[in-house]
Amino acid sequence: MKIICLFAAAGVLMGVSRAMGADRILPYPIHTHRLANGLNVVTVPFDSPGLAAFYIVVRTGSRNEVEKGVTGFAHFFEHMMFRGTDAYPTEKYTEVLKSTGASANANTSNDRTMYHMTGNADKLDVMFALESDRFMNLHYALHDFKTEAGAVKGEYTKNYASPYQKLYEMTANRAFDVHPYKHTTMGFFDDIVDMPNQYEYSRTFFQRFYRPEYSTIVVVGDVTSEKVNGLAQKYFGSWKPGSYAADIPAEPQQKETRFVHLQTGDVPPLLALHYKGPAFKDSEPDMPALDVMSTILFSSSSPLFKKLVVEERKARFIGGGAMDSRDPNLFSIQASLIKKEDMQYVKDEIVKAIEDLKASGVGEQLLANTKSNLKYSFAMRIDNPDAVANTLCHYVALTGDPETVNRVYALYDRITTGDLKKIAATYFTPSGLTIATISADAEGGVR
Amino acid sequence: MKTLMLAMALAYAIPAMGQEVVELKLPQSSKVVVKLMFRNGSICDPKGMEGLTYLTASLVAEGGTADMTFSQIQEAIYPMAANYGVSVDKEVCVFTFEVHRDWLTKFYPILRGLILTPSFADQDFQRIKVNQQTYVDQLIRASSDEEYSKMALEDLLFRGTNYQHMKQGTSPGVKAITLDDIRKHYASFFTHSNLMIGVAGGYDDAFLKMLMEDMANLPGTNPVVPKPGAARTPSGIEVEIVAKNDAFGSAIFAGVPLNLTRAGNDFPALMVANSYLGEHRKSYSKLYQEIRENRSMNYGDYSYIEWYENGGGNMLPQPGVPRSSNYFSIWIRPVQIAAQLRKQYPELADVKVGHAHFALRMALHELGVLVSQGMTEEQFQATRTFLQSYVKLYVQTPSDRLGYLMDSRVYGRKDYINDLGARLAALTREDVNRAIKKYWSPERMFVTIVTNTSEVEPLAKSLRENQPSPMSYSKVVKSGLAAEVREKDAVVEKLSLKVTSVNIVNSKDTFR
Repeated sequence: MKIICLFAAAGVLMGVSRAMGADRILPYPIHTHRLANGLNVVTVPFDSPGLAAFYIVVRTGSRNEVEKGVTGFAHFFEHMMFRGTDAYPTEKYTEVLKSTGASANANTSNDRTMYHMTGNADKLDVMFALESDRFMNLHYALHDFKTEAGAVKGEYTKNYASPYQKLYEMTANRAFDVHPYKHTTMGFFDDIVDMPNQYEYSRTFFQRFYRPEYSTIVVVGDVTSEKVNGLAQKYFGSWKPGSYAADIPAEPQQKETRFVHLQTGDVPPLLALHYKGPAFKDSEPDMPALDVMSTILFSSSSPLFKKLVVEERKARFIGGGAMDSRDPNLFSIQASLIKKEDMQYVKDEIVKAIEDLKASGVGEQLLANTKSNLKYSFAMRIDNPDAVANTLCHYVALTGDPETVNRVYALYDRITTGDLKKIAATYFTPSGLTIATISADAEGGVR
Repeated sequence: MKTLMLAMALAYAIPAMGQEVVELKLPQSSKVVVKLMFRNGSICDPKGMEGLTYLTASLVAEGGTADMTFSQIQEAIYPMAANYGVSVDKEVCVFTFEVHRDWLTKFYPILRGLILTPSFADQDFQRIKVNQQTYVDQLIRASSDEEYSKMALEDLLFRGTNYQHMKQGTSPGVKAITLDDIRKHYASFFTHSNLMIGVAGGYDDAFLKMLMEDMANLPGTNPVVPKPGAARTPSGIEVEIVAKNDAFGSAIFAGVPLNLTRAGNDFPALMVANSYLGEHRKSYSKLYQEIRENRSMNYGDYSYIEWYENGGGNMLPQPGVPRSSNYFSIWIRPVQIAAQLRKQYPELADVKVGHAHFALRMALHELGVLVSQGMTEEQFQATRTFLQSYVKLYVQTPSDRLGYLMDSRVYGRKDYINDLGARLAALTREDVNRAIKKYWSPERMFVTIVTNTSEVEPLAKSLRENQPSPMSYSKVVKSGLAAEVREKDAVVEKLSLKVTSVNIVNSKDTFR
């Protein structure tokens, strides 16, 4: 096995630099242009005849929900963006959008809300017209607002059928004290039920966040930057900037291990270890080092996976990784177990693997193979405009800058075994840990 | 050892067809996609071993080869980031391999080894079997009520046929499978005569030649694939309610046999009608507008004229699931139950039944209106224009393009997606309205509802007795309802449904 790995790794580094260039993982130029009002416009021409992906990312999400009683509002607001304007009432908006033949939707996460349309490149003008109108002139009726809240409750209802979703909600609530990451993007259920009564707040929310300085347009496909920039100026040039910045409370240092448990025998026992991790930065090695580390520790080729899943069959699967977030969030490790009696053993084995890495680092060969894995995974993923746009929006949401994608992959290349040891020691500590479990027992029973 | 063959009376042999190959050369593409489609699926599972095809294919994809263990393979492909897996459906299994072309030469022997010399190691068998057993025993019941209601609908529609069981099988079926059964099943069904090869991306002719020559080493026998079971015709509205202790809402699926597939000439016409009635995840459709948008009842409502894989996760339909036994279905995402309404709103303290009965009536009302009135020229034109662009989005990646091309062959077509352009263009409104009347009716439907135990009896009674089911709006929504919504509600709440049976099943007794 060793020989195969050595041989493979030598090929990788050459292959990647040949195929993808040494410093830029994205094999396409990124054109950026900022309008006078602060709106960022990003274009990536892509060989996809007749097809374009048109995305708008607004850098507001459940992270910005700092006021009591309005958790889940960023997500609710995403729904309201489909409820019409004076120029395009819902029915007309739907009719015109349908005429473009695009696949259009939106979604919300902790740090951002993203709107997307993928379809005919020659309908880009119509897409810009529709989007600029609702981003600048959204105007929904009070009744529509109250009605849409029911759809959000419906979304919560469908999600809540999953015990894993319930545990996720409980975990966030337990792991954070004051930071808005304490609640999920859906929000607390009581706040969801109360949403129909928050019409006035919804107008405030729109005025605060749906502004050019919070937004970036990303277009990938059969387009030119001249055309996209021209359309952006034509349709978004008169958008007025705002001045609001949410005062997001910093999470105090966690002092000891926390526990959360869901009692149910309906699904296999689950063990999750959530360590407080860093905020995402494209200038520091912390997050890239954690990505390298999670790939090493939890991929299906890792010794831990081989031991617990393949040979001993204590776990059905094991996985882990850090969540890229603007503020410090969780590094989560999850193992689905066969028997609940193995909970402590599996926890100890995971911790042991982490401690080994802290003490001894990893071999150069494994590190090189891991960097290769990360790069080729990326190259395999970006085979269509939608995937490229999605990737760019992920990084835009974090830093506001699409070039972050190239910076992060350059950082991966520079990670050393020394970085891994140091960063593992920083973040994998019992005092920063929240242990979440599911089993048929009344308590998780893991120390 | 149990017999691997189903009742021979139903069986017919697939004729030897030589090597079927579908090519999609993309010289600029940096990756290579190989798809191997075997024309046998879960309908080939022997009685008492439901889940055998799924377990066999999974063991090939997640096991080792004669030369390498599973872990050795994982280690070898780690720097390549190559990925591969298998999808199993009722009538086909599709293995998909994707690798960057920098690594094709080193990866290929692994592909060859997995298909030609799978190790079928006991260690891998135990690991994979546990996962499948967990799915059929627990996860299908506990992780998504929507997916649960969909599987329960197939169980009801195809009861007594080889289409009834989930592709993952049944609890006793999976339990009964031995490693020996798997070896024999692989040798009997995953044969050269049963294989369609697909390749896409930046490969050359020499690679394809090698792939074809190697795959010719699979057994040459013609597998005896049973005839796909047909969906039963309901006598009226036949309902099955699945009772779950902790269900938070009522998840609903309804379906009825449809004697039409992509192979049929009427398919584009019915596609237009279906898009208008319930295009997946689109706000353009009638079901979505009436149930979600106007009435705030749930997250979405859609309809389908063919199988849609993982509707909860996919925005666009996936390839690799061609079927010849088809049905028309309506998906109503979870609506509120009475217990929750009472808890959330003081003004609804007396509510006895949640929204499921009204939602079902509303969906069937909309279907009935479409059947009796058809589409207007304006509706037809707008929906057709939408589809002419939208269907092109099904094939955005090399893998999807290849997958749809291969599915085309199964339906006897050359390039289904490409041909749809001309076929949609040739349609008239009359074609669509004729197809609606020919294939759809709101009178007969199987319905499955996964709901909370507390909701079961009141809902069953309401359905059985055809009781009025007025929408229980919260005060804040009710006060602003438009006159046309209230007027339609008054009609829909009393819509007479010919409910011929309401059967209640405990969650733990489903899929037995």
